[in-house]
Amino acid sequence: MSSQTNLSDGPAGRIEENVGAADLRHLLELATLVTAARDAMSDDIVTRMSSAVNEGLILLDRVTRNPGLMRLLQALERSECQSLLEALADALTATSRELVSDPTGSGAGGGLLRLLRDPGTRDTLRLVCVLGGHLSRNLEAATKVSVSPGGSGAPL
Amino acid sequence: MRILVVGGGTGGTIVANNLARRLSAELRAGKVTLTMLSASDRHMYQPGLLYVAFGQMMPDALYRDQASLLEPSIEFHVDPVKHFMLDEQKVRTGSDRVFGYDVLVIATGSRMVPEEIPGLVEGSETFYSEAGAIKMYKALRNFQGGRIALVVGVPHKCPIAPVEATFSLHDFFKARGIRDQVEIKYHYPINRIHSIENVAKWAKPEFDRMEVAYETLFNLKEVDVANRIIRSEEDTEYAYDLLISIPAHRGMAVIEENQLGQAGWIPTDRHQLTMAGYDNVYVLGDTTNLPVSKTGSAAHFEAEVVAENIASIVKIGEPVREYDGKVYCFIEAGHDQATYAMFNYQNPPDLKPANKSMHWFKMSYNQLYWSSVRGLL
Repeated sequence: MSSQTNLSDGPAGRIEENVGAADLRHLLELATLVTAARDAMSDDIVTRMSSAVNEGLILLDRVTRNPGLMRLLQALERSECQSLLEALADALTATSRELVSDPTGSGAGGGLLRLLRDPGTRDTLRLVCVLGGHLSRNLEAATKVSVSPGGSGAPL
Repeated sequence: MRILVVGGGTGGTIVANNLARRLSAELRAGKVTLTMLSASDRHMYQPGLLYVAFGQMMPDALYRDQASLLEPSIEFHVDPVKHFMLDEQKVRTGSDRVFGYDVLVIATGSRMVPEEIPGLVEGSETFYSEAGAIKMYKALRNFQGGRIALVVGVPHKCPIAPVEATFSLHDFFKARGIRDQVEIKYHYPINRIHSIENVAKWAKPEFDRMEVAYETLFNLKEVDVANRIIRSEEDTEYAYDLLISIPAHRGMAVIEENQLGQAGWIPTDRHQLTMAGYDNVYVLGDTTNLPVSKTGSAAHFEAEVVAENIASIVKIGEPVREYDGKVYCFIEAGHDQATYAMFNYQNPPDLKPANKSMHWFKMSYNQLYWSSVRGLL
């Protein structure tokens, strides 16, 4: 019997048995990736990333602990709101461009009349009026709940 | 119940925000009020001053508006307390307003007192204030070589700062290519190079490697500004070209003036963090006389205990937690490496070898501090 120790019989051999060559190669790749990422980082990158994480955390905390904002987000998630949001986004873009191209507007009273003749303006005014009606009714209902003796008494 | 927090530093802000979160229902229902009185409308991230002194951070990055850090349910006044009337459960402020309370939290912090050593104010640079840190950076930037002496008074805020400043000096001049023309000598008042034994054991070989000279048992007696010599109570002296000091600290003057504690440190129960003789008065952060480091992290861990206990008293009438003396300090070790020291009343710190990941953890924390004081981390 040889007195020499065979490494493949020891812990290294057991690792070889249990971990295939491909696995070891993947581990090596991962280690190289970590080293490469570490070498590519700088104090400035870490500071900027941490700052973004910090602001993100604060924003997330504020939103998730604000029942009003959470309700708004839930409402905005509904599919029927998506077209409204997209239209709003497009309208904001078009408005900002229009204001840049024609900052002074075209006449006071006449310009306003021309705007009111535009079917798009009339649709938007209707939307605002409908929204205002719903808002008013919801506020009235919420006020009744908050002041009724059986209500929660929680502030609006 | 009226809860009054005096002081808008790390400890006061965390305790107020933590309470606002724990007692949100009670605050909404008007069963509890939460008020903070602070001396400033701005909040400073004090550990950043060391970075300012070495040109690694701009001063404006150290500040946030205090009101923006507080939960909306906290009533915030910039109106520092002048008189504590503890037996009447009232305080009087600088604007002569009187605030009553059922529970009081005192977190007024500490201040450096360089004026207690002759010559120290006019003869040394220090990074313990914004103006001082900027001035120190300019002095370092213009320094072309010679002897730098670093002197330390005790007690002082952030006990690791002397060691970190020394490592930073080494790195700063090495980066400028003149380290071989600069002699750095570190002076410490006890018979080892740091008050925490394991930090001393860890830092000594680092100083040797960086060729930083040191003298222990050096208690600064005076600075001879004209001849640029520092002298110790132990009758030793050292001639310098640039003197950097970490002056001794005291508690805030208002604590001394109201005779709440010797040297401005309030006698505090080490586990409950209540003021001796007053079960409804809590003390935290630098203001206590506890044998723990005067650091933001100590204030943070103490604030969590105090907030949980006050909230549990509101909810069930009894406190539920005890402070174990926990402190966690990052240690910037130079060469973009850092380590940390964590310890409590029972267990001394066990320092690990410095590495880059810990340095980035510290850099990250410099930003995440703002989440921390809001009570998120």
